[in-house]
Amino acid sequence: MPERAKGPSLGARLGDALRRAAKAAAERPEASRESTRGALAKRSRRDFLLFGLGVVATGAFAWWLLPERAKRTWLPGAADRLDTLAGRVGLTRMQREAQLDRVLTFDDDVAEALFSKERRVRTYDRPDPGPLMNNYHGRTPGPDFLPDWRLNLTGLASGKSESLTIDELRSRFARHDMNTRLVCVEGWSHVVAWGGLRFADLLAAYPPAPGMRWAALRSNVSLDGAGNPEPYYVSIDLETARHPQALLATHHAGAPLTLAHGAPLRLVVPMKLGLKNIKAVTDIAYTAAEPADYWNERGYSKYDGL
Amino acid sequence: MPSERETEDQEAMRRAAAAARAERAARARAAAEAARAARAARAAEPVRVVDKHDGLVRTAHWMHVPLLFGLIATGLAIYWAAPVFRHAPSPGNPRGDYFVDIGRGLAALFGQNGDMPYWFYEHFSVGPMQLANALRLHWLFAYLYMACGAIYVAGLVRGGGWRALLPRASDPAEALAMMRYYLGVIPHALARKPWPHPPIAGKYNALQRGAYFTMPLVGALVVLSGWAMHKPAMLGWLERLFVNYDGARIVHFTCLVILGGFTIPHVILAVADGWDTVRGMVTGWSTRWKGAPHA
Repeated sequence: MPERAKGPSLGARLGDALRRAAKAAAERPEASRESTRGALAKRSRRDFLLFGLGVVATGAFAWWLLPERAKRTWLPGAADRLDTLAGRVGLTRMQREAQLDRVLTFDDDVAEALFSKERRVRTYDRPDPGPLMNNYHGRTPGPDFLPDWRLNLTGLASGKSESLTIDELRSRFARHDMNTRLVCVEGWSHVVAWGGLRFADLLAAYPPAPGMRWAALRSNVSLDGAGNPEPYYVSIDLETARHPQALLATHHAGAPLTLAHGAPLRLVVPMKLGLKNIKAVTDIAYTAAEPADYWNERGYSKYDGL
Repeated sequence: MPSERETEDQEAMRRAAAAARAERAARARAAAEAARAARAARAAEPVRVVDKHDGLVRTAHWMHVPLLFGLIATGLAIYWAAPVFRHAPSPGNPRGDYFVDIGRGLAALFGQNGDMPYWFYEHFSVGPMQLANALRLHWLFAYLYMACGAIYVAGLVRGGGWRALLPRASDPAEALAMMRYYLGVIPHALARKPWPHPPIAGKYNALQRGAYFTMPLVGALVVLSGWAMHKPAMLGWLERLFVNYDGARIVHFTCLVILGGFTIPHVILAVADGWDTVRGMVTGWSTRWKGAPHA
C-alpha cells in the first residue's frame, strides 16, 4: 500500500487553532512607561476639568429632565430657584416637552422600522384564565346604543360613506379566531381568545381613497370615569391595519363581545399596545394625515408598536 | 535751607536704601528662579506609570453612572403601574405590591406621619402616577445606555482591555484566596497583624475579573430583556428567549438588582483601594505598575 503523504490531523489542527486563539486572548504583560511629573499633571488637569464639566452638564440635564413631581419630592426647598436658573440657560419646561416628544418619535420610528406585515405575532394554545380588562377608568356604556349601532366608514375610494350593521359585518366577512397576548402600556399582559373579521378584508371590500395612509378609529359611545360621554379615538397606520392578525373583533372567549369588552365591534391589534385596541368602534375614517390619538395627547407614543 | 552735610547724609541714605532694594529684588529674583528651577526639575522628574483604561472605557464608565440612576428611577416608576412581584391583596394594598409594603415600612422608620403607600416610589423613582413621563425618559436613557455599551466595547477592543477580563483556569482557586483575604482584612487590622495580599499576576484579581466580566453580560441581558418587553410582537423570538412577557420582566428586574448590587461594593472597594485607583478611571494612568515600590 502506498504511503499517503499525511498533513497534520484534524485534531492537531484544531488544537493548534485553539492554542493560537488562547494566545491572542491571553492577558498581555503590563507595559509601564516613563513619563514626567509635569506631563502627568497637565494631563490630569485636562481630564479632571473635562470630568467636572461632564458632572455639571449632567446635573443640569438631569434637573431639566426630571418630572415636576420628583423635583418637588427630592429638593422641595430649591426646586423653584433651580427651575428659574435652568430657564435662564434655555432649559425650559416647554423645551423639555419638545425634546422628550422627539425621543418618542425616534422610538416610534424604530418600532415602525421593525414592523412587517409578514411577521406573525405569537399565538397561544389557550387564553390565560380569568377576566381582565381595563376601561381606562371609564365606565362601561349601557346597552341602549346597540340597536342603532352602525360602523360608519369615510375616506373611501368610492367617495361615498358607508354605514354597516353588525349582522352585515358578521355575514359578509369570514371569521378568524386567534389567541394573542394583549400587552398594556402599564406592563401587565393577558392572552385572550378573539374572533372577528380581518381589518384587511374590510379594507379590500371598502378600499380607502388613494393617498390615504391612516385609519382614525373612534368610539362615540365611550364614557369617562364619571359616566359622562367621552369619545375615545386612536390612530392606526394602514400597514398595521392590513396585518392578517389585525381583527375587528366580534367575539371574545368564543362568545359575542360583552359591553365590557367593547360590544359589538372592537379593534384587536396584538402588534400594538393595548390602548390602541379601541372598544365599541363606531367610526373609521381613512385619512392622508396622521389623525389625533387619545393617549398621544396625554404624553404617550403615537405609534405604540410592539 | 538744609546744610550741605544734611544733604550728603540724605543722599547716602537714599543710596543705601536703593542698594538694599536692589539686593532684595535680586534675592527675590534668585528665589523665584530657584523655585522655578525646582518646579521645572520636579516637573521633569521621571515617573513610571502604566496606562490602565482606554479613554472610551473611562467615558463609558462615568456615563454609566447617571444613566443607571435614571434608568432605575424611571424603571421603578413604570413598574409602579403594574407590579410583577405581588402577594395576595391586603388592606390598603389591593394590588399586593411589595414596594407599597416596603415604602410603608421605610416611611414609619423615617418618622413620617400618615399612611404613605407610595413612599418608596416617591423616593426611589420619579414618582407614582408618572407613567407617561417615566416611559419617555426610560426610552431616552435606554438608547443612551445602549450607546454607552457600544462605547465601552469599542474601548475594550481599542485598548485591548478585554483580555484582562476573560475568565481563566486559575480563577476559582484565586477567587477563594481573595475571599479569604477580604474576610481577614478587618480582624488583622484590629489585631495589628500583617495580612499580606495574595499575589496577583494580571491587572485584576479573580473576583474583580469575575465581576467585570459578568457586568457587561448583565448589561447585555438587561438590554435584551428590555427589547423583549418593548417589542414582543415583532421580536417574538426574543420574547420566547425569556419564556414569555412576564419572564422578560422578571429577568429585567433581576438585572437591575445585580447591576445596582454591584455598584455598592464596587464604590467601597475602589475608594478603599486608594486615590490612584479612582484617579485612574478619570485619567487612565496609574503609578501602580507591577513591581512598583509601593504596589
